[in-house]
Amino acid sequence: MRYLPLIWSGIWRKPGRTILLFLQVSVAFALFGVLQGLKTGVEHAVAAARADLLIVHSRQSFMLQPLPLGLLDQIRLVPGVKVAIPVELTGATYQKPTEGIGIVAVSPEDDWPSAFTYTIAPEYLAAFRKSRTAMLIRDTVTEKYGWKVGDHIPLKMLIAQQNGSSDWAFDVVGTFTDNDVGVGRARFVLISFPYFDEARAAGKGTVNHFNVAVSDPKLAVTVSDAIDRRFANSSHETKTESLRELAQANVQSIGDFDFLLRAVVGAVLVALLFATTTMMIQSTRERTPELAVVKTLGFTDRAVFLLILAEALVIFLGGAAFGLALATLTLPLGARFVLGLSMPGVVVVIGLVSGALVALVSAAVPAALAARLRVATALGGHGAA
Amino acid sequence: MSFARQFAALLAMSLSGFAQRIGSVLTIIIGVTCAVAVLVSMLSMGTGARRQALVNARDDRVVLSSLGARGIGSSIPRDEADTVLNLPGIRKGSDGKPLVVFSAVVLIEARRRLTDRRIFFPLVGVTGAVTNEFDPAFHLTEGRRFHPGLFELIASNPCVWQYTGFELGARRSIHATDWTVVGHFDEGDTQQCLVLTDAEILMSTFGSNRYTRVTATLQSPGAYDALRRALEANPTLRLEVRRERESIENDFKELNALLNFAAYFVGSIMAIGATLGAVNSLYSIVDSRRREIATLRAIGFDSAAIVASILFESILLALPGALLGVLLAWALFHRMSVSPFGFSFRLDVSLGLAAVGIAWALAMGLIGGILPALRAARVPVATALRAT
Repeated sequence: MRYLPLIWSGIWRKPGRTILLFLQVSVAFALFGVLQGLKTGVEHAVAAARADLLIVHSRQSFMLQPLPLGLLDQIRLVPGVKVAIPVELTGATYQKPTEGIGIVAVSPEDDWPSAFTYTIAPEYLAAFRKSRTAMLIRDTVTEKYGWKVGDHIPLKMLIAQQNGSSDWAFDVVGTFTDNDVGVGRARFVLISFPYFDEARAAGKGTVNHFNVAVSDPKLAVTVSDAIDRRFANSSHETKTESLRELAQANVQSIGDFDFLLRAVVGAVLVALLFATTTMMIQSTRERTPELAVVKTLGFTDRAVFLLILAEALVIFLGGAAFGLALATLTLPLGARFVLGLSMPGVVVVIGLVSGALVALVSAAVPAALAARLRVATALGGHGAA
Repeated sequence: MSFARQFAALLAMSLSGFAQRIGSVLTIIIGVTCAVAVLVSMLSMGTGARRQALVNARDDRVVLSSLGARGIGSSIPRDEADTVLNLPGIRKGSDGKPLVVFSAVVLIEARRRLTDRRIFFPLVGVTGAVTNEFDPAFHLTEGRRFHPGLFELIASNPCVWQYTGFELGARRSIHATDWTVVGHFDEGDTQQCLVLTDAEILMSTFGSNRYTRVTATLQSPGAYDALRRALEANPTLRLEVRRERESIENDFKELNALLNFAAYFVGSIMAIGATLGAVNSLYSIVDSRRREIATLRAIGFDSAAIVASILFESILLALPGALLGVLLAWALFHRMSVSPFGFSFRLDVSLGLAAVGIAWALAMGLIGGILPALRAARVPVATALRAT
């Protein structure tokens, strides 16, 4: 502890140099944080996705191949299925062709929210069930357009009504939030499937997929297999996957970038290591007379060695912490492009540990030089060469 | 002494000192190398994807899709598609029929050869046979073309080496029917897996009555406007036409925005880091030459020449870093195959990217040199000369 002032004054011997070094470390670890946050954040998002919520979709394709509504009764017969709800997906625009909104049509049957990741207040749920043209809006939609409960909202949908018009209108009866990491900040609304199916001109009696909640999370795999087996070799083969499996499939593409990501992080650390090592050797050389004085005062070689290491550790840990904080601040910006970007504690720990490692490695040579210093030569003024 | 001669003398002095200050010199070079290598290799994703997508695009081909739809979300009823045959400006083949192909696209699943992971890829049903007249890049390498009306597929060669189950004679179950792979083909240099079959059999299997898009060859690239006007004059057609190039760019917009954002974001941060490292190194170079610089100022050297020589020195140190960085990116990543987000392409470290990398390095050198150069010019002559 009593060495702290000495370490501190060593660090601020040349403030300009220290600040530049500090910034360099910060920048390197800000980048490290963002890149690792990308990877680890996505892994966390996958682990957090619900494994007990199943999506039954067509074996051929997730988004484009519809399934007949008639499969619903058979799915409900599968043991372990608690709730099964038909879901149709489509799109709409609001006022301008560029203002796209996702439309999720669900059957508001008993207990339907248990098969979704939405959080909806009970009074909104009741209102949604009561009116055919009811619409629940996600908080992201509220933020963007400022719609309120009671508003009558005209939408231009991709699917036409029976009279050929693609203009639809819905009444906002409430709001909801979605805690599924996969959907990010997507803007979408919920409407009533029975009304939508009745009113649309084409595609009647088909849905995009079914959401299934299982009675026991442990049964998820068994139930998936049972559902798929029931429709095997029919003209509507299904593929049942949990939200977690879907999340895994979505992020596996990032796996291709692993090599690139690792190369970038490697380049950052190599550049940093080299810059700091030369900088510290330089600074130790300049301080030769001072270090000699310190030794004359009775500091052992070991103490001098540790002194230089400690200085490097302080700068690096400070810089790494600052950089990781910066990365955390910039993450919301990146989250617009990449789903599930976040900064779990693990990344911070890994960052600080690698910061300490780089500090120790880059300070090892200068610290050893300082420790081996011979007092007589150094004070004689020949050590500066 | 003239500015030019002072500048030359100062520069010669700096250069002769490089050997003694090898640590600082290497710090700048390695920092710039890493920053440029990272920027260029990340940008090579975007250029690779674009190049790959556009490699087969032709100026005289247009793509028609349903109004406002994007990618495979487009859906065109049969009767509307048929009207395209009578639009003006479309070239006729040697058999006298318009060079128009209707295609229906469905996504089906495949498994990766290496990881056994599932991905979806487009199965494209086309009307008639794909002729070389329509698509000069198409080139059958093995087997034969599919027969219309039979459950037969032909797969591009990238499918064969990326995914399982596309070998010649392999059977695949699609929508509860058995399909046989009867041929392999190349389409120019593309890495994207593409599987073709007969549109009619595909649509009847999937119980669909709608095409996804219509591709037409024009008499000349200039015939585009006439076709567009004819389309707009007919309000019952809910179709929009784009040149093939624009249509592809449109589909790639999001991916490109993402890739370029990532590249410039990471590249900028690394450039800032490298610049900070250069500033620190140049400061220490300047500091170690305080007495020399003070001496030169005392015998009448101009401050401007000193500033210019240090800026030039800084740029001179950044340049080898830039070249090394580009070379490193090229050696590590050029032509490397990646398949992010369902697209497959090769990274492409082009000359244009090399220029971007060098420009960034010059900027790093210039910006990094400013502060140390100004400090050198302001060295107080008397104190510096007296210092030990």
